[in-house]
Amino acid sequence: MTAEWGVAEWGLLATAALVLLVWAVWVEASRLDRLHRKVSASLGVLETQLVRRASVSVELASSGLLDPVSSVLVGEAAFAALDASGEGTGTLTSLPPELVRIVAEQGDVPPRATAGAAAGRTAVVDRSQVESELSATLRAALEDADEVAEIRAQPGGAVLVEALAAAWFRVQLARRFHNEAVAQTRRVRGKTLVRWLRLAGHAALPDPFDVDDAWPPALGRPGASARAPEV
Amino acid sequence: MSGAHGRPLRIGLVCPYSFDVPGGVQFHVRDLAEALIARGHSVSVLAPADDETPIPPYMTSAGRAVPVRYNGAVARMTFGPLTAARVRRWLTAGEFDVLHLHEPVTPSLGMLALWFADGPIVATMHTALTRSRGLQMAYPVVRQSLEKISARIAVSEDARRTLVEHMGGDAVVIPNGVYVDHFTRATPDARWTGTPDAPTVAFLGRLDESRKGLPVLLDAVPAVLRARPGTRFLVAGRGDTGPDEVRALLGDDDARAVEFLGSITDAEKAALLRSVDVYCAPQTGGESFGIVLVEAMSAGAAVVASDLGAFRRVLDDGTAGTLFRTGDPADLAATLLRVLDDDGLREKARDHASDVVRRYDWSHVTDEVLTVYEMVTAGSSGRQVGEDPSSRRAGFGRLVRSDRWER
Repeated sequence: MTAEWGVAEWGLLATAALVLLVWAVWVEASRLDRLHRKVSASLGVLETQLVRRASVSVELASSGLLDPVSSVLVGEAAFAALDASGEGTGTLTSLPPELVRIVAEQGDVPPRATAGAAAGRTAVVDRSQVESELSATLRAALEDADEVAEIRAQPGGAVLVEALAAAWFRVQLARRFHNEAVAQTRRVRGKTLVRWLRLAGHAALPDPFDVDDAWPPALGRPGASARAPEV
Repeated sequence: MSGAHGRPLRIGLVCPYSFDVPGGVQFHVRDLAEALIARGHSVSVLAPADDETPIPPYMTSAGRAVPVRYNGAVARMTFGPLTAARVRRWLTAGEFDVLHLHEPVTPSLGMLALWFADGPIVATMHTALTRSRGLQMAYPVVRQSLEKISARIAVSEDARRTLVEHMGGDAVVIPNGVYVDHFTRATPDARWTGTPDAPTVAFLGRLDESRKGLPVLLDAVPAVLRARPGTRFLVAGRGDTGPDEVRALLGDDDARAVEFLGSITDAEKAALLRSVDVYCAPQTGGESFGIVLVEAMSAGAAVVASDLGAFRRVLDDGTAGTLFRTGDPADLAATLLRVLDDDGLREKARDHASDVVRRYDWSHVTDEVLTVYEMVTAGSSGRQVGEDPSSRRAGFGRLVRSDRWER
């Protein structure tokens, strides 16, 4: 080809490049959108399972199947978890530490007295910490396999233990799924094109939900087909 | 009075809190156990403790305490089936004439022991009761246990009042004990002794727990220093607050007057209280007794304290020490200056305080406790502490609300 490139040829090339760029941007944008929706969906699932586990814990605590001390402490931890639910799993951790400390210093006020100022009360609570505490309290209350077997043998006991195991197992699954979705989203949002063009818009950068949900060894693993009964 | 106590008793004491961390209830249980042993009774104490913590021979460990959330704060409690089994074994092996529980409404060892036991049971309430939802929920089970208590002791009039309000019934007030002579005879330490130009003011307590009132005292420091520039503030206790925070709050000059002693031993505490001119108790609430005030009075320090109900009573309505408006740094500064400037006022309060503290001396407190034991054992006509059959599985299964899970 001996002819020099004319305006037409250059124009064609520029158009092709532009189309390619727009296409690439569109692909990234829709991918990011899909991931954001995936994150909010997985967060919703995690939330549901955490609430279910806390609800079953309240039932267990009020069932009279545990000794009084375990009843009080499991009930207390479960109520704290239910209180913290609905505040969003990540939002509370982003409060500036000074503010958290100031609010925490007001902690002497009994929760009932501050019920009106719901924000002030729950801002003290770090969701993942409260859920971890519920895990630890339940592990201590159910640390002995013989005891768990005895609870199962009581009327209504087996149903409760199954319900707790099923909800707990689903918390473990939901947390892993959610954190995987968060990791994928953060990876995509770290890409140069996404950052330069601010494709994420105003969507907050999702945080992984770190919680101690280690399994109580004495609590039998639920079968794959075990279903959480309605609570 | 002491002559009235006849035969030696087998006494089981239950302490809800771990001896790994120091605290008022722990010290009280330890001192009571030793005072009872000194009078020839045989005592066994059940308490949470880590395996590494050295415990005295009269103590049995109920296991490790785990941190859990209770009433809006993280507390270290000992619970779970293995702990329950240990409590049951200790109870049945002890063959006690009297079981003396501390804090039976706190979800820890006291509540467990009460659940398992039957017979002559004495319970001491140390703190104001808490309104925990977990407790309210389990209350049907707990209340049945509480009815087994034969005699209730409150450590102060304030503790008694909350007890009566929340649970009905009544309780006898027997204060926490102090070895008064231990403080009266302590040797002053030159490092902490005040001079007319540089008087010393002591604070004791958790530094980062605002309820203990360190912020109130620190806010009062500048006003005191303006009137008496040489004053030294000796701050003893554990916590994250330190010289840096005080410099940020007061500036370099004023901050030099505040000295942090860190965590101090019992002997150092006695020496500190014996040395200083003024012991300051700026607590803002949540105190049901105020044992340190009694210790400071025993040591001869002039006490300046918030006008909380509990402190007002310990200080005999402000005649055995001086009260200021709770949480008011300006009033605290004015009160401190008034006490530091008036030797006669200090002397008069000190004289009166040395009479007041006798009521809290262990010799007296042990007499009163033993009288309660005596009445409880007499009422049970020789029956020992045994196991409550209803705490066995089959028995407490009837409390299960099985109807909800039937389908």
